[in-house]
Amino acid sequence: MSGFIAFAIINVVVVMALAPLYISLVKKMKAFLQGRKGPGLLQAYYSLWKLFKKEVVYSSNSSFIMRVAPYISIISALVAALFVPLLFIPDDYSGFGNIILLLYILAVGKFFMALGGLDAGSAFGGMGSSREMSISSMVEPVVIVLFAAIAFVFRSTNLFEILREASHGLGGYASLWLLLIPLVIVLLTETARIPIDNPETHLELTMVHEAMILEQSGRNLALLEIASAIKQLLLMGIIINLFMPMGFNLQVLFPAGILIAFGAFAIKGAFLAASIGVIESSVAKLRLFRLPNLFALSFFLSVVTIMMEVLL
Amino acid sequence: MMPTLFFQSGVGLLLIASFLALVFLHVKQSRIRKCFLALIILACVLFLASSLSVLLGGDALAFYLMLSGLRVSLSIDVLAAFFIGIIGLVGLSVAIYSLSYVEHVGSERKKNFMLSMMAVFILSMVLVVASHHLLGFLVFWELMSISSLFLVLIDFEKEETRKAGIFYFVMTQLSTVFLIFAFALIYNHAGTLEIITIRGLPPFIASLVFVSLALGFGIKAGAIPFHKWLPYAHPASPSPISALMSGVMIKVAIYGIVRFILLLPDKKLWWGILILILGTSSALLGVIYALKEHDLKRLLAYHSIENIGIILIGIGLYMLFSWYSQPAIALLALFAALFHTLNHALFKSLLFLSAGSVVHATHTKNIEKMGGLMKTMPYTAALFLIGAISISALPPLNGFVSELMLFQVFFSSGVIASPMMTLVLFFALSLFALTSALAAACFVKAFGIVFLALPRSKEAEMAKESGPAMILGQAILAVLCIGLGVFSFQIFQQVGQKAGISFDLPNLLLISATAVFIGAVIFIAVRGISNRNVRISETWGCGIASQNSRMEYTASGFSDPILTIFSSIYRTKKINRRSFHDHDSAVFKEGHAEVLLLRFFEEYLYLPVVRLIRFLSSFLYKVQNKVELDPYLLSSFVAILALLLYLGVAIR
Repeated sequence: MSGFIAFAIINVVVVMALAPLYISLVKKMKAFLQGRKGPGLLQAYYSLWKLFKKEVVYSSNSSFIMRVAPYISIISALVAALFVPLLFIPDDYSGFGNIILLLYILAVGKFFMALGGLDAGSAFGGMGSSREMSISSMVEPVVIVLFAAIAFVFRSTNLFEILREASHGLGGYASLWLLLIPLVIVLLTETARIPIDNPETHLELTMVHEAMILEQSGRNLALLEIASAIKQLLLMGIIINLFMPMGFNLQVLFPAGILIAFGAFAIKGAFLAASIGVIESSVAKLRLFRLPNLFALSFFLSVVTIMMEVLL
Repeated sequence: MMPTLFFQSGVGLLLIASFLALVFLHVKQSRIRKCFLALIILACVLFLASSLSVLLGGDALAFYLMLSGLRVSLSIDVLAAFFIGIIGLVGLSVAIYSLSYVEHVGSERKKNFMLSMMAVFILSMVLVVASHHLLGFLVFWELMSISSLFLVLIDFEKEETRKAGIFYFVMTQLSTVFLIFAFALIYNHAGTLEIITIRGLPPFIASLVFVSLALGFGIKAGAIPFHKWLPYAHPASPSPISALMSGVMIKVAIYGIVRFILLLPDKKLWWGILILILGTSSALLGVIYALKEHDLKRLLAYHSIENIGIILIGIGLYMLFSWYSQPAIALLALFAALFHTLNHALFKSLLFLSAGSVVHATHTKNIEKMGGLMKTMPYTAALFLIGAISISALPPLNGFVSELMLFQVFFSSGVIASPMMTLVLFFALSLFALTSALAAACFVKAFGIVFLALPRSKEAEMAKESGPAMILGQAILAVLCIGLGVFSFQIFQQVGQKAGISFDLPNLLLISATAVFIGAVIFIAVRGISNRNVRISETWGCGIASQNSRMEYTASGFSDPILTIFSSIYRTKKINRRSFHDHDSAVFKEGHAEVLLLRFFEEYLYLPVVRLIRFLSSFLYKVQNKVELDPYLLSSFVAILALLLYLGVAIR
C-alpha cells in the first residue's frame, strides 16, 4: 500500500506540474506555424495564477451545481490520474487501473460540467452543454470499442497490466499500431481541439467546450482549466506509454530512475504536444454534423484491430 | 419457520388493507388512509424480512396458503426471494411516499380505491414470484394485470387515460395469451404444472415454448417492439403507481424470463441471440426515443424500456456464454442482469417518485414549462440528481456497477471459439456504450431543464417543496442507490463466496474515499491561495437589459443535435414548401413548413394488426347478421355435415 501511496503522490505531482505546460506548448507550436511569436511556455501557469487571484462572479440564477461542478471536475481528473501510470508502475495497484472505471470517472466530471453550463440560464451555456453531450455520446462507442480492442490485444482490462506488458516493446502486438489514429482522434475530441472543437474561439457558431464554461470565473474557472489540462495529459500519457515506452517503468533505484523517467516523459510529452499543435494547424474545424464520419473512421480502425486479433 | 410466518402475515395484512379500503370507500378522514398505508408498509417490511432470511440463510421455503378454500402452493428459493426483496423495498418506499401523495388524488373514493388496488397489486406481484405452480402463476399474473389496469384508470375522466388504459389492457392480455399457450404446451409435453421441474420437452416444442414465453414476458417487460403501452400507461397513472409499475411490475416479467430460461432444457444458440437482439434494440431505441420526449413521465417510461433492454442484454449474454460453455463469464452476465434489475428498480422508482413531486408542484408534465425548481424544491432536486447520476451509470453509484459488470462480460468475448460471434458481440458492445452515453445526455437535459436556471412558467415559479413523507420515501431509495454502489465490492465479495465465483470489481469504497480526500485537500488549498471575494451578478445576456426565461436553452434545443444525427431512426419528415412572386425565387410569397414525426411501430406493426382484426370481425359480423337466411342455413348445414363426417371417421 505504501508503494501505491508513493506512486499516487508522484503521479499527481507530475500531472499537476506538466499539464499546464503542454497546454502552452500546443499554443506555442500553433503560433510558430502561423509565423507568430506566441506567449511564453509559462503563460498557462501565469493565467491560472491570475484566475486564482480574481474574484468569483456567480449568476443570480445559478444554484449549487455551478459551485460544485469545478470541484467535481478537478476531483474526477485527479482520481483518474491515479489510474494512469506515467513514470513507473507500483508493485501493488489493487483496486485501481480498471479502464472502464477510468472512462466513467472522467464522465462524472463532464456530466457536472454540462449541468453547470445549464445552470446560469444563458443560451451559450445551454448550447455548449448540448453540443458537448452530443459529441460525447457519439464518441463514447468509439472510445469503448477502442479500449475493448486494447484490452482484447493485451488480454487485460487493467491499465497498469496493459502498460507493463507494453513497456516490453510492441513487437508482438503489431495490430496495435492501427489504434494510434483512433487514440489521437479521441484525444482531440476529449480535449476539445480542432477539428472537433476550437479551444481558442469565443464565437457562438463554433464553440462547444468554451461555451459550456462561459459563465465560470475566478478560481472556479482556474479549476476547470486545470481539470481539462490534466485530462489532456492523461490521454497523452496513455498514448506515450503505449507506443513510446522508452524510459517508462525503469527498474532502477528510487531517485535516479524516477528522474530519468520524468525527463523521458517530459520530452516525449513535448513531442506529442507539438504534434497536436501541428494537427490543429493543418486541418480545419469540421461541422458538428460531419463529426460522425470522423468517429466512424476511428470506430472502423478499432474494429479492424479486433478482427485481426480474432482471425489471425 | 419464521420467514414463512413473515410471508404469510404479509399476505394477510395486504388482504386486510385492500378489503378495509374497499369497505370504507367513502371515508373522508386521512387518518384512516394512513392506517391502510401503515398496513401496506408493515407487509412490505415483512416480505423484505422473509426474503432477506432466504437470501442470507440460503434455505428455500416451501409452504401453502389457503385463499378462500383454495390451496395455493408457494415456494421461495433464492431467485424468488431476490425479486420479493425488490418488491418489498420499492413497495415500502412507495407506500411511505403515498402517505402524503394519496391526499392529492381526486375524490375520497379514488383515494381509498387506489390504496385498495395498490395492496392487491403488491400482493399479486409477490404471489406471482412465489408461485410454485404454473396455474397459480397465471392466476396471480392476471390479478397483477387487472389491478394495475384499475390503477392506470384512476383518472378515468380524462380521454387520454381511457385510451392508455385500453391500450395497456390489450397488450397485457396479449401477453397472458402467449403465456397460457406456453404453459399449455409445457403441461401437455412435460406432464407437470410444477414450475421447478420442466423436463422431457421435444426440441421443437421447447423452441416454441421459448418463443411464446419470450413474447409473453417481452410484452409485459416492454421490450421493443412491444413497448408501446409503457409511454401511454405511465403518464396516465399516478406517480407512485408508475414507480411500482416501472420499478417492479416489469421486473416480474424479467423474473419470468430468468426463471423459465434457467428451467428449459437443451437451449439453442439462437435463443440467446434473439434475447440479445431484443435487448440491444430496446436499449438503444428506448434511449433515443427518450431524448425526443418532453413529457417528464413519458421520458422516464422510455428509459424503463432502455433499462429493460440492458437487463435483457445481460440475460442474452448469459445464454450465449453458457452455450459456448464459459460458465464463469455466463454467471457474471446473469449476476449483472439481476443486479441491474435491482438497481433499475431502485433508481427508476426514485426518479418516478421525484417526477411525481415535480408534476404535482408544477401541475404540468411538460419539462419546457419547468425550470428553476432547484431553489424552490431543493430536496426533491437533490434526490432526482442522485437518481439521474445512477441511471446515467456514473461511478460510484449502483447503476454504474451493473453496467461495469456487463462491460466486463463484453470485454471477455474473446474467449468464444467462434470469431463471427466475437465480432457480433463487439458490435453489440458499441451499441451498448452508445446507449449509456445517450442516457447521460438525456439526464443532463432532464435535470438541467427541470431544476436549473430560471422557471419557464408561473406554475414553476410558485412550486412548493413536497411534504416530509414524500421526501422520506425517495430518500430510502436514494440511500440504497448510493450504498449499493459504494459498497458493491464488499457486497459482491460475500455474494461471490456464496455462489462460488469471483467478481473482479474495483473497490469503489476505496476510490470514493480517495476522491473525498483529494476533494478536501483541493478545497483547503484553493481557499488558501485564491481570492475569496464572491459577487452575485446577472447572467450575461448579450447586452439585453434584463434576462428572462425565454432566453434560456430549451429541452428541444438541447436534444436537437442528437435528433439531427439520428434523424433516420426517428423517421422525421420535414416538409417545406415555398412559393415566390418571381421566377428567380427572390421575392417570398407564402410558405408552409411542417415536421412530421412518424410513429414507426404504430404505423408498421400495431395498426396493420388492428386493421386485420377489424377486417376479420367485420367479415364475421356480416356472416352472422347481414347475410340472407338461406346461405346462413346452408353454411350451418354444411358445417354440421362436415362435423358428423369427421366424427364418423374418427370413431371408426
